[in-house]
Amino acid sequence: MVELAALKRPGPRDNTAPVTPAPPSPAGRRSAQVRAAAVSLGLMGPAVLLYTVLTVVPVGVAVYLSLTDWDGFSSVSFIGLDNYRHLFDDPSSSQAWYVTAVIAVSGTVFMVGLGLVYALILKGRSRANSFFRAVGYFPHVISALVLGYLWAAILGTNGAINNTLAKFDIEPIGFLFDEKMALISLIAVIVWAGFGFNVVLFVAALQTVPAELLEAAAIDGATKRQTNLRIVVPMIAPVVTVATILNLVGLIRAYDIIVSLTGGGPAGSTQTFTYLILARSFEGTKVGYATSQAVFLMIVSAVLALVVTALRNRQDQAATG
Amino acid sequence: MEAKAREAKAHRAKERPPAAPEGLPGRTEQGEGRSPLRWIMLGGLLVVMMVPVYLLLVNAFKSQQDILDNPFGIPLSGLTLKHLSAAVTSPQFNVIGGYGFTLFLVVMVDVLCILLAGPAAYAIARSLKKRTQLVMLYFLAGTFIPGAAVIIPVIYVLREIGLANSVTGLVAHDVASTLPVSIFLFVGFIRTIPVDIDHAATIDGAGRYRTFWTIIFPLMRPAVVTVLILNSIGIWNDFVSPQILLSPSSGHYTVTTAIYAGISQYSTDLTKVFPNLLLAIAPVVIFFIYMQRHIISGLTVGAVKG
Repeated sequence: MVELAALKRPGPRDNTAPVTPAPPSPAGRRSAQVRAAAVSLGLMGPAVLLYTVLTVVPVGVAVYLSLTDWDGFSSVSFIGLDNYRHLFDDPSSSQAWYVTAVIAVSGTVFMVGLGLVYALILKGRSRANSFFRAVGYFPHVISALVLGYLWAAILGTNGAINNTLAKFDIEPIGFLFDEKMALISLIAVIVWAGFGFNVVLFVAALQTVPAELLEAAAIDGATKRQTNLRIVVPMIAPVVTVATILNLVGLIRAYDIIVSLTGGGPAGSTQTFTYLILARSFEGTKVGYATSQAVFLMIVSAVLALVVTALRNRQDQAATG
Repeated sequence: MEAKAREAKAHRAKERPPAAPEGLPGRTEQGEGRSPLRWIMLGGLLVVMMVPVYLLLVNAFKSQQDILDNPFGIPLSGLTLKHLSAAVTSPQFNVIGGYGFTLFLVVMVDVLCILLAGPAAYAIARSLKKRTQLVMLYFLAGTFIPGAAVIIPVIYVLREIGLANSVTGLVAHDVASTLPVSIFLFVGFIRTIPVDIDHAATIDGAGRYRTFWTIIFPLMRPAVVTVLILNSIGIWNDFVSPQILLSPSSGHYTVTTAIYAGISQYSTDLTKVFPNLLLAIAPVVIFFIYMQRHIISGLTVGAVKG
């Protein structure tokens, strides 16, 4: 819990005025400064270099390729912003946009909603509560790919549920084979795997709500529900906002779980944007076009991440000042 | 702040002695613990979260026919270790073999990440120069990049520097991808360590490397634990990077890529699916049960701050 309390700490801005040690004598100041700069460079250099080569340069390459019509084999020709003009044009791309948006929005709504409900139930510090929190949380440490396969073995045509139904002569349910239902199943599995993270996040915030406030409300005759809705939830609103954005950013990048649960099918009905980008890149026919979509996805998640940073800063200011 | 919270808690406990005896399940304020709704909610949670685990555990020890006939049942006479041991020794795709390689990856990435991120974070945290703060922003920008979507250009870069389709290339890419959040968490932590300690070390004649590794680094234990957990679980569960940066011809499989290769081939043979999934999940869940507190707080701090 001590570490969780660190969540509330106002971040790196509470600077304790660190300075490089003063140079020993005015005469040696210049060379000491040079030496200090060299040491700083030595400390940061390797990390900066590796990060630049393998994270920043690939993004540059992606931006460059997104302005070409490269197909993976022949020569590269520059076509300007053409790819971006067609981001929504072809049917599979617009469908992928739709699927990604549906997964991100509804997944987030359910994950935050369930997270809030269970956080209110499990906010106490008892052993039983921390057991239930762990029960809700554990899928978060398992690979999404593996979870997808597990659920496919439960929901598939030959899965545990349909085999059980077959014993009672009930027609199999197309959890993963009906276009509409497959998307719902996918979202349900994503929520199953992810809401426990929000529970933990919200419980940490709830435990910082001052007890005096709740007592005052109780003395004034507020019911449990009124206290929760009117006092507790507004108190942790900033954390809920952060969680919402984190979930959205995470879900618009969803990939692994789709590979294993539905494989993007049936008929592309669960194909997200990242899935489409990687599938297209592997077909090796439309690398330029696929990277333009990757760049666009990057911009969308950057905007969302900037929003979270801005919100967090405001929250820090509210907390400190 | 913490002391205040503790005080508030003690205060609450004193004010209402019968209200919340800690450690007793459910008996919280206003007799809410006895409300049926709470138990329905918790019962529902337990069932929904645990049924998949139950099915995984039970069916890993059953024959194909038993799984198909009655997936939820436990045929006492029909339980067998045959399929699990077949999965352990399977030559085609081998999750156990994947443990070794994945563990190797995790250790390499963890060690290299600390070796690179630690000194960099120290330099950033102890400098007031604008330049250095720009370096921090430069690293932070990395958290905006959706890794999977831009993995294809990574292949081109690795090819240019001669590391395509090599374990070195994969490790380098993984380390690079862990740097932004690790550095960010380290910088935040180092800034809470009084700079007087550095000055004292300088006066005693220690250089900056020595000051960092022998004085500051040992004080960073909580942040190091957080970063190690965050990175280890991330790398262990990563599927896209090893799948795309290492072709099957390399012969190296992580747990996730082995599962992918195996299950996409034998998805109808449930005696292969369940035992292999069990082998893939078991180590992480056991690790989670033992390190629960550290893992939950580590992953939460990592996600929120990163």
